[in-house]
Amino acid sequence: MPDVCLYLQVHQPNRLIPYDFFRIGEHAFYEDDGMNAGILNKVAEKCYLPANRMFKQLLEEHQGRFRMALSISGMVIEQMERYRPDVLESFQELIATGSVEILAETYYHSLAFVHSNREFERQVQLHLDKVEDVFSVRPRVFRNTELIYNNAIAAKAETMGFDGVIAEAVERTMMGQSPNFLYRAPDTARVKTLLRNIGLSDDLGFRFSDKNWCEYPLTPEKFASWIVNSPGDVVNLFMDYESIGEHQWKDSGVFEFWQALPEAIIEAGSQWVTPSEAVDLYRASRVYDCQFITSWADEERDLSAWMGNVMQQEAIAKVHRLEEAVLAVKDPDLTHTWAKMQTSDHFYWMSTKGGTDGSVHSYFTPYPSPYDAYIYFMNVLADLQIHLRRAQEKEDAAAASAGLDDQRTSESKKG
Amino acid sequence: MNRLRVLKLGWEFPPLINGGLGVACLGLSRALSQYVDLTVIVPRSAPEANFDGFRLRGLNQITVEELETVESRYQYESFAQVREIPIHIDPYADEPTSIEILETLELFPGGEIRFSETTRKQLDSFKIGELYGPDLGAKVVEFSKVAAKLAMLEDFDVVHAHDWVTFLAGVEVKKATGKPLVVHLHASQYDRAGADARGWIFDIEKYGMEEADAVIPVSSYTGEIVVSHYGIDPAKVHPVHNGADPVDAFLTKKKFPEKLVLFLGRLTAQKGPEFFLEIASRVLAENPNVRFVVAGTGEKLRPLIETGAFRGLGGHFHFTGFLNKEKVNDLLSMTDVYCMPSVSEPFGLSALEAAQFGIPAVISKQSGVAEVLKGALTADFWDVEKMAKHIIDLLSDDELRQAVVAQAKADMEASTWDAAALKVLEIYQEVTT
Repeated sequence: MPDVCLYLQVHQPNRLIPYDFFRIGEHAFYEDDGMNAGILNKVAEKCYLPANRMFKQLLEEHQGRFRMALSISGMVIEQMERYRPDVLESFQELIATGSVEILAETYYHSLAFVHSNREFERQVQLHLDKVEDVFSVRPRVFRNTELIYNNAIAAKAETMGFDGVIAEAVERTMMGQSPNFLYRAPDTARVKTLLRNIGLSDDLGFRFSDKNWCEYPLTPEKFASWIVNSPGDVVNLFMDYESIGEHQWKDSGVFEFWQALPEAIIEAGSQWVTPSEAVDLYRASRVYDCQFITSWADEERDLSAWMGNVMQQEAIAKVHRLEEAVLAVKDPDLTHTWAKMQTSDHFYWMSTKGGTDGSVHSYFTPYPSPYDAYIYFMNVLADLQIHLRRAQEKEDAAAASAGLDDQRTSESKKG
Repeated sequence: MNRLRVLKLGWEFPPLINGGLGVACLGLSRALSQYVDLTVIVPRSAPEANFDGFRLRGLNQITVEELETVESRYQYESFAQVREIPIHIDPYADEPTSIEILETLELFPGGEIRFSETTRKQLDSFKIGELYGPDLGAKVVEFSKVAAKLAMLEDFDVVHAHDWVTFLAGVEVKKATGKPLVVHLHASQYDRAGADARGWIFDIEKYGMEEADAVIPVSSYTGEIVVSHYGIDPAKVHPVHNGADPVDAFLTKKKFPEKLVLFLGRLTAQKGPEFFLEIASRVLAENPNVRFVVAGTGEKLRPLIETGAFRGLGGHFHFTGFLNKEKVNDLLSMTDVYCMPSVSEPFGLSALEAAQFGIPAVISKQSGVAEVLKGALTADFWDVEKMAKHIIDLLSDDELRQAVVAQAKADMEASTWDAAALKVLEIYQEVTT
């Protein structure tokens, strides 16, 4: 009978204002503060606050027998610090119970790994520092943006000192193996890969309130029976935190379900573990060879949600192309503004996919169309480059006058 | 000689306006009214619209009673063979998309086809919907029936119809009254839908020009098309360039250091936005300190955005979407070079407007306005290398830039509606004697 490992993702992007051409060079504020605060408020009321309250109570009631993990992006932590300190506090209280593990991720919820090793390391380090600062914990397991994963990312996680790394159990790379075991990536010695159980996770994240689903309505007991009858060491239930109360609305009975799930699992004879506990408890005796990049997004489960069309490809390439120049001017505000442009959602909104995936993309987009998303993003980038150039010129001027001073000093010495 | 009395047939008219046709009709009407007695009939006029010097009559303001006296005096001419007319017309497409029978004609003994009595419903159709809506075809036909009747109530010496939407009406008026017909071609289906375009609109254009006593294309370039493409007798084709009303030009300092090259217009094949993108990519390869701005919208917008992204031009190739007049002027006030790579542009008033802002223009040879702006740098629309070179030259060579701007200023001074009106007056005199 496998254990159950629950990890929930908490993230909110910084949506941009409709940044039209006339703002370039004139308007240095890119984010739609009103909308970002509004959406955070909405999600806080529907999900974060009631779900935190519920989980805190459950964690206390079960005295360590119910455990879970959260991954909280740097972006949403910043938003909470700015707009809703009370919500951040409720997360802090939840984590203070000692039964909630925090995972590491890229601070900006970015695709940095795909584009720059150095920027990736910088962002993971930033996130570790932030988590330590805000929650006083040190993550041991790494979760890359949207579960973007391949062998290289596992190896990188190992080099960076992580004990575990999270991935999507994508059928085409699983070769018929079960996701309910821990795996070892080729060319790694120590780090273990935890694979999301897609079926059981999506039962909760997507299908729960679907009245056309043959298993509707899902009860905690029924779900627990599926878990205990699964093979393997541990069933990984990984999903967005917002699926509790936001993607799955309150009136679907989602809170009542989660309220009863911890006990139902324990009743059925299984136990709850966090990702790092799973890493400690179980051997990774099998190899999971994932050469091509996978993710948990869209039907393709690859990078196509963010890099599937030419607009996305250009936008993301152009942000990363600025890396060297931005970091060279050593202006913390400029660096932060630039890095926020790397948040994966910006590119997600530029997707022109149709079908079910297309409607998921458009559910989340703040813009009238992916073309508008692209236009505003590129205009912002143009403005950012103007600021970058001004910063460079300032630095050059400073360097030139410093050089002149040096020259004068050496000349006067000669004299 | 007594003042000529002119009946003008127009479609859009300020303040109810969609594009350049309304601007041109108003400009010419104002100037003409100094020399002739002028009545303008349009499908719809704003109730508050009142113009000094000429009378504007919108069919939306006419009552059935006004037409009673002429009902029996008129019979179908142009429509004798028409059994059905296409509706849901898009003038920018090659083919009408659907066909629906609106009205069945009754054949009276002796083969005469009676014009049905104008109904309130018919007149009401001019009060609702868009002037260029999906029922454009029906509106064109209804307009010609009612305008013909209205014309019989008016005294005039010549009828002057503007663009294909009023050509049927012009022919009907000519047949009903025996007065000479002048048709004015601001844009043809050749421009809008390409050289291979055929169909209802093309047929109306050809029919209108054939029936007319004189044809006024807005440029010699368009006159060429009228003769060679529509097969119209060159003897009755008299090009008259549009004028331009003076605008309050001003200058704004750009908020960014780069130069600005502007494309302004509908994003349709006719305007050549793809060529603008090709030109931009060539200029940027030489000089990255330039921003290209595409102001306007249309069916080419999305493909253009994608091509720009594919070429990696984003960040230097900007899209503003549709802009109102005020925003257009803001943009003009900071533009360094105006680029109009139209595939076929009968005139191109916007280049004159840009010239008023002191902006040098790079325009295609397939543009009528090139005949007016003699100093503008030109190239064939497809010759993107040459277009790009012109832009690079204008951005780097101040002397050249000043020469082009100075020449444009001189050309502008000659481009008045008054000058256009005097030429049109000559044509009126020729067809009435």
